[in-house]
Amino acid sequence: MRLFLAVVVCKVLRFIGGLIGKGSSLPGQFALKVCPNVLGRVKLPEHIIAVTGSNGKTSTVEMIAAILNASGKKVVYNKEGSNQIEGVTTLILSNCSLGGKMRGDVLLLESDERYARHTFKWFHPTHFVITNLYRDQLTRNGHPEWVYDAIKDAVFPETTLVLNADDPLVSCFAKDHDPAKVKWFGLDECSISTKEHHGVYHDGARCPVCKGRMEYACYHYAHIGHYSCPSCGHRRHDTDFAVTALDLKEGKLTINGETEISLAFKSIYNVYNILAAWSVCALAGADNAAMAGVINNYMLKNGRMITFRLGNHRGTLLTSKHENSVAYDTNLAYIADTGKPCTVLVIVDAISRKYFTGETSWLWDIDFDRLGCEHVQKVMLYGKYCNDLAVRFKYSHVPADKIEVGESIATAAEYLKENGDEDVYVVTCFSDRDKLLSLVERD
Amino acid sequence: MELTILHLYPDCMSLYGEYANVMVLRRHLEAMGVAVTVETALFEDTPDVEHADFIYMGAGTERTQKAALSALLPHKEGLKAAIDRGAVVLFTGNAMEMLGLSITDAMGKRWPGLGLADFATLETAQRAPEDVIAHTELWDSPVVGFMNKCSMTEDVSVPLFDRLSLGFGNEEEKGAEGYVSGNVFATHLTGPVLVKNPDFVDFLIRRIFAVKEWELPETLPVLPYEREAYEVTVKELTGRN
Repeated sequence: MRLFLAVVVCKVLRFIGGLIGKGSSLPGQFALKVCPNVLGRVKLPEHIIAVTGSNGKTSTVEMIAAILNASGKKVVYNKEGSNQIEGVTTLILSNCSLGGKMRGDVLLLESDERYARHTFKWFHPTHFVITNLYRDQLTRNGHPEWVYDAIKDAVFPETTLVLNADDPLVSCFAKDHDPAKVKWFGLDECSISTKEHHGVYHDGARCPVCKGRMEYACYHYAHIGHYSCPSCGHRRHDTDFAVTALDLKEGKLTINGETEISLAFKSIYNVYNILAAWSVCALAGADNAAMAGVINNYMLKNGRMITFRLGNHRGTLLTSKHENSVAYDTNLAYIADTGKPCTVLVIVDAISRKYFTGETSWLWDIDFDRLGCEHVQKVMLYGKYCNDLAVRFKYSHVPADKIEVGESIATAAEYLKENGDEDVYVVTCFSDRDKLLSLVERD
Repeated sequence: MELTILHLYPDCMSLYGEYANVMVLRRHLEAMGVAVTVETALFEDTPDVEHADFIYMGAGTERTQKAALSALLPHKEGLKAAIDRGAVVLFTGNAMEMLGLSITDAMGKRWPGLGLADFATLETAQRAPEDVIAHTELWDSPVVGFMNKCSMTEDVSVPLFDRLSLGFGNEEEKGAEGYVSGNVFATHLTGPVLVKNPDFVDFLIRRIFAVKEWELPETLPVLPYEREAYEVTVKELTGRN
């Protein structure tokens, strides 16, 4: 009876919420009050796929849904990104019959890395994809090992883990797990691999198991690569699913030596997201041709690149995430690769839109040296924390005479509107991007 | 004027950008005409504490901190000798905990500390990631920054900060924070605390000059944007408070 009531409450609130445009976690929150163990009582589909990790969750989930839909499976997933237990409850109950049976063949969940243990207390995923763990929103997340421990509590023996073999910390999830229930994906040594580590900090310098000095045969980016620990033997596992060839400039990759894929977005992160999606979809029974058909030139809906015009400038806003140096580094690398004369505008105004903090230490984890190239003609540092940015840039390779500092984003936009016609790249966060986008002509 | 900074375990005890503390101190000293050498030591090295004028370590994960402690323990006599001759020491984040008698981790295991201070630390299952405004009697302006700790440090004889108006102290919310004894300074503030607080840098420079018996200029260098950044953070955090 409580189950029935919880489903009804959720559906009614969801309907009303839909009418007034309210968030997706409230109905689940009420349903959990009516029936706290509701998630343990509903009948879920055969496949329950969860995706977690620091970066790439949303994109990976979107591609998994597209592939499985194209393979004829009905996929229910949290495309609104409400990835804590209340949002997941709303999602499941909204798609349930009044008898408590969820419709669909696959339940697909983007799972918040810290809250997965609460959600999966009641049901366990059949497949758990873990993409990567690095410094991300440390004001909330503590640090990558803290997040690792939180996810570890959400790993259950019957779940098949789908792990990024190239991430030494993610690989640790396999330690106490039945080896038959661990599948590995990774990138072979290829055109983008380097012998040297790149970046301001190196979270793979020490083995996550024994803290001995880690050795790398090659790096793909940050601490992601082919590692082995001479002290304890922790090493990159052989892969079940691999990108065997990659040409990022051409935008082509090959999976398992046989399927060639064209990339709509030529970034290494896109490569890993595709590979993660491919791996779990293959495990869920999708066939190669169907997968390749969907993934080829796949344009992400949650695009983080926005083009605009401002005066005589063609502008591109590259959405980074404050408090996430890897997201910043991706975009800085993109700008460095363009090779065309440009101005770069970096905005740090509100560090988060969800909570208050004045924490700026993450600026020191970003590799701003990447902007120290000739074609970057000017770097404009704007927003409330422009002075913190300016101090950080004094320790970068960007010459002081290329740097301009100011608080008002409107002033920056006004200046650009009146001066010059070179390309403009804007690097900032979701929390700050509308402050500029409201002042430009969107394409 | 020559000076040596010893940066302990920069490859892994720099979880929140703490390496910047060494860079900013170095740049201020260089602006005063001091020739600065920065030595680093990894776990596998014997740190050259004997020749160090300033010794720094930042924060790490709880597991890395234990490894750092194990690496440093064999060198504690050398570290003690350096402290006795007046070397200025700054340990920030959970590096502070290593100076004490022990760290008891969240599983209940007790790790003996360096024993250079008389406090003991208990790790907790909860983290306290918080913005901080801290007040000390050693200089006038408040210190601002962030902490990302999961521990309580008990029985600190003399705290560095008498009180916090924002943040979690050694034992309680807004309580006394950090530790000071002679030229040894420790605080659980994480990240580039010296970058954020130019007066803290100036205070350390005065101590270093006193130990070296160098003549201190009337005014210390003010580097661009640092004080402006500090003022913005003070205003933001005070407004929040």
